[in-house]
Amino acid sequence: MTGEAAPSFAHASEAEMARILDFYGIRWEYEPHTFPILWNLEGGVVESFSPDFYLGDLDLYLEMTTLRQRLVRKKNRKLRRLRELYPDVRIKLFYARDFRALMLKYGKLALADALTGSAGQAGPRDVDVEDPTVAIEPEPVVVPAVQPATASATITGPAPATAARRRRRRRSTQRANQAAMMTPDRSGND
Amino acid sequence: MPTSPDLSADIGEILLTEDEIQAKVAELGERISADYAGKHLTLVSVLKGSLPFMADLMRAISIPVRIDLMEVSSYGGTATESSGLVRILKDLSASIADEDVLIVEDIIDTGLTLNYLIRYLRGKSPASLRICTLLDKPARRLVDIPVDYTGFTIPDQFVVGYGLDYGEIYRNLRFVGVLRREVYASGAEG
Repeated sequence: MTGEAAPSFAHASEAEMARILDFYGIRWEYEPHTFPILWNLEGGVVESFSPDFYLGDLDLYLEMTTLRQRLVRKKNRKLRRLRELYPDVRIKLFYARDFRALMLKYGKLALADALTGSAGQAGPRDVDVEDPTVAIEPEPVVVPAVQPATASATITGPAPATAARRRRRRRSTQRANQAAMMTPDRSGND
Repeated sequence: MPTSPDLSADIGEILLTEDEIQAKVAELGERISADYAGKHLTLVSVLKGSLPFMADLMRAISIPVRIDLMEVSSYGGTATESSGLVRILKDLSASIADEDVLIVEDIIDTGLTLNYLIRYLRGKSPASLRICTLLDKPARRLVDIPVDYTGFTIPDQFVVGYGLDYGEIYRNLRFVGVLRREVYASGAEG
């Protein structure tokens, strides 16, 4: 991503991760691919997963989960589906504790506290609205009727819902970054 | 920062005793001596954490070796400013072209620094480039790097001693221990 305009990150910790990757010369793309993971009986995509980063040189996706526990559980479920449907996709989940460990390593633990949990993320309203799967929990019935069993599914562009989600994310990112800057020593609540 | 003049008071658990470390270093030295017999081996150590390991390992190797030292800047970005790119703070003193090079590391966790170093050193056309680390923390790995010589695989805990630091302190401990959480938690609050 070096040399290009930075995207609007959904969470301040993602922006920090992007800076770390840039620092070490690891090329990355932000949410470049969307993987359908659930279809309705008509074959329409009802749920998809867009990992936060794709590290092309390493052929690795990176998903940051410095969020509330309820959303972490949901993300874990999505990840399991992704791995079932796309076994060749290499993805690493980066939990809040991983982010804290990374910041500790770099002597930036206070920054981790400021960037994890509510201080670094979109507000509750944004989060609930941005992902409709919250409304259909508990676990929806999985209907992979249309998708091939191997789900060699060509990685698609963003699903229709993603554009609106990104617009909401763009609005929330600036707010999250401001929060992180204003409260550098505030403890997170992840 | 240390909570007591006695550094060991900040250690919650001794993970590797001095005897265990020295036994492992001797074992690694024997293996490396056998593997590189008749070759031109250069040990490249990465400052500062690997200094004690390098000092002990080179003396445990029985074949002729050259040594060299490198230092690279560590990430230390903030939420508000770019920290730029990794920099070589100290480069090799001599050419490694056509030499068999063994990178000597204290610990590999994310693999980000080592990945950068490997790319950099490969550009100097060594005959071979392999990796020796005293400690491997695979739970934190972001970049998969094949490691040729591993002393110990350790759990996902923040360790200090035998070269490893927290805030530049604890390097001089003769063992590897888990730093008590209160030590770095209090640092984050300050």
